[in-house]
Amino acid sequence: MTSASAAIRARGLHKRYGRHVVLDSLDLDVEPGQVVGLLGPNGAGKTTTVKILTGLVHATAGRAELFGVPVADPTARRRLGYLPEHFRFPEWLTGIELLRFHARLAGRDPGREAGRLLGLLALVGLEGRGDDRIRGYSKGMTQRLGLAQSLVGEPDLVLLDEPTSAMDPLGRREIRELIRGLATDGVAVLLNSHLLSEVELVCDHVVVIDRGVVLRSGTLDEVRSAAVEVRIELDRVDQRTLDLVAGHGRIVASDDHEVLLGVDDPDVVPRLAVDLVQSGARIRALVPLRRSLEDAFVGLVGREESG
Amino acid sequence: MTALPITRLSMREAVSRRLVLIGVLVSAAFLALFGFGFHALYTNVSSQGTEDRAELALGATIITVLGLYIVRFLAAMLAIFLASGAVATDVDSGVLHAVLARPLSRTSWLAQRCLAFVLVTVGYLALMTTAVLGIAAGIAGYAPLDPVRALAVLALELVVLLSVGLLASTTWSGVTSGVVTFCLFGVAWLAGIIELVGDQLRNQTMQLIGIGTSLLIPSDALWRGASFYLQPPSALLLTRQAASGNPFAGSAPPTTSLIVWSVGYAVSLLLVAAWRLRHRDL
Repeated sequence: MTSASAAIRARGLHKRYGRHVVLDSLDLDVEPGQVVGLLGPNGAGKTTTVKILTGLVHATAGRAELFGVPVADPTARRRLGYLPEHFRFPEWLTGIELLRFHARLAGRDPGREAGRLLGLLALVGLEGRGDDRIRGYSKGMTQRLGLAQSLVGEPDLVLLDEPTSAMDPLGRREIRELIRGLATDGVAVLLNSHLLSEVELVCDHVVVIDRGVVLRSGTLDEVRSAAVEVRIELDRVDQRTLDLVAGHGRIVASDDHEVLLGVDDPDVVPRLAVDLVQSGARIRALVPLRRSLEDAFVGLVGREESG
Repeated sequence: MTALPITRLSMREAVSRRLVLIGVLVSAAFLALFGFGFHALYTNVSSQGTEDRAELALGATIITVLGLYIVRFLAAMLAIFLASGAVATDVDSGVLHAVLARPLSRTSWLAQRCLAFVLVTVGYLALMTTAVLGIAAGIAGYAPLDPVRALAVLALELVVLLSVGLLASTTWSGVTSGVVTFCLFGVAWLAGIIELVGDQLRNQTMQLIGIGTSLLIPSDALWRGASFYLQPPSALLLTRQAASGNPFAGSAPPTTSLIVWSVGYAVSLLLVAAWRLRHRDL
C-alpha cells in the first residue's frame, strides 16, 4: 500500500482554537526523498501543521499519519527527527550530553554510538565544541546543535521549523547542502521557512498555505510557473487585439506596442499565439516571464488577501 | 544504560540548579546551628544540676522535633519548587517540544519526572533527618520511637505536595503553581494548629475545620502523624499528660484512614495531571 510508505499523509486537517480556525481541511503528502517547503505568511498555520504531525498539538478533525502510523501513537515518531521553531535546550548540558540524551529518547545506546554522535557534531559544524555547555553557545550554534539533535535517531523523516533563522549566509549554505544530502539518502524533509530564496534553492516540492488552506502545491516549477505573466509585443495594439488578448487572461498593462497579460495556466500561450496570428496581428515577441518563487508567493497570497 | 532518561536528566537538573546549591548551604548552616544550639542548651541545663531528668528529656525532644520540623519544611519547599515548575516552565521555554517529539508518551514523561523529584526530595529528607537525629543522639542520647516509619510518612507528605504542584503546573505558570501549592501547604499548617487548639478546648467547630482541611490537603496531618514516631517513648507519655503541649508535634500515630486517603489523594492528582497533560496542546 502506498499510504504506508508515505512519510507524511495528512487528510482534512482541521484545527480550531475557540472560534478561531487555524487549519481548515488541509491535505499534505510527503514522500521519501522529497524536500518539501511549507510556505505561507505569518499565522498561515505552518507551525500548527508541523506540531500536529509531531503530536504536540491535537487536530480538531482530520487524519495525519507518519509512515502509515497515526500521529496520536508515540511509535509514529520512531522514524522522525524534529527541530522546533522556538527550540531551547537545558543550558547546563553540554552539546554532546544533549545528543546522548536524545539518542536515549530515540531508543539508542549512546555508549555504543559515541563515534556517530561526534560525527553528527562535525556534520553541523560544531566539531570540537561538544564539551562546551549550551549556555555558552551562540544562537547560530544552538540552531546547529538543534539540527544535529533532529538527526540523532537516523530518521527517515525530518521536520525543520525555520532551521536557519539564526544563521549567517555561510551557515545557511552548509545547512542547505546537508538537507540535500539527506534527500539523496532517501530521507523525507519538510522545511518550514520564511526565506523563500532558501526554499527555492533546496526544495523540490512546495506547498503554499494561507489561513489554514492549501493555495497551491506541486513541484517548485509548477508552483513558480502557475499564474505567469506573458509579455506580448506586436506591431500595433488596437482595441480589437486587446479584446482578443483579454479572453486569455488578465491585462496587467498595455501601450501601443506591448501587452502584459497575467494567465493562470502557461498552456494558454500557444493558443494565444495561434489566435493572434489568425486575427492578423503581427507578433514581434511572445515571452512567458519566468518568476521567482517570491513573485509566485506574493501573487498567490496577495490575490487571496485582496479577494 | 538507556532506562529512564527523563528521570536521570530531571535529577541532574534538580541538583544543578543554583537555588539547590544555596539550599545545600542553608541546610549545612542549619545543621551546624542546630548542633551548636542543642549542645549549648543541653550542657547548660545539665550543668545547672537539674534533677528532673524527665524535664531535660522533654526539652531535648522539643528542640529535636523543632529541628526536624524545619527539615520537613525545607524538604516541602524543595518539593513545591521542583514540582510547580516541572511542566509549565518546560512548556513555556520550549524545552519540552523536542523531547515529546520523540517516541515517548506524555504520561511516561510525567511519571519519570515525578520519580526524579520523589528521589531528590526524599533523599534530601532522609539525609537531613538522619543528620539531625544523629546530632541529637550523639549529644543527648536521643532515641526516637521509630525513625524509619516517620520517614515513610514524611515521604508520603512530599509525594502529596509533589502531586499538588505537578497538577497545578499542568494548568498554570510555574510561579502561579508555586504560590498556589505553597498557600495550600500554609493553609494545612494553620488548620493543623486550629485543630490542635480545638482539641484542647474541646471545640467541635475548630476540630471540624482541621479535619476538613486535612481532607483538602493532608500535608500537615501527615507531619503530625510522623512526628509521633520521632519522639522518644518517655516524651510521648509526658506530652500526652500535658495534653499536646508541643504545637509542632503530634501525640498520636497517623491513622490508617489518613494514610489511605493520602495515597489515594496523591495518585488521583497525578492521574488528573497526566490526563490534563495528554489532552493539552503544546
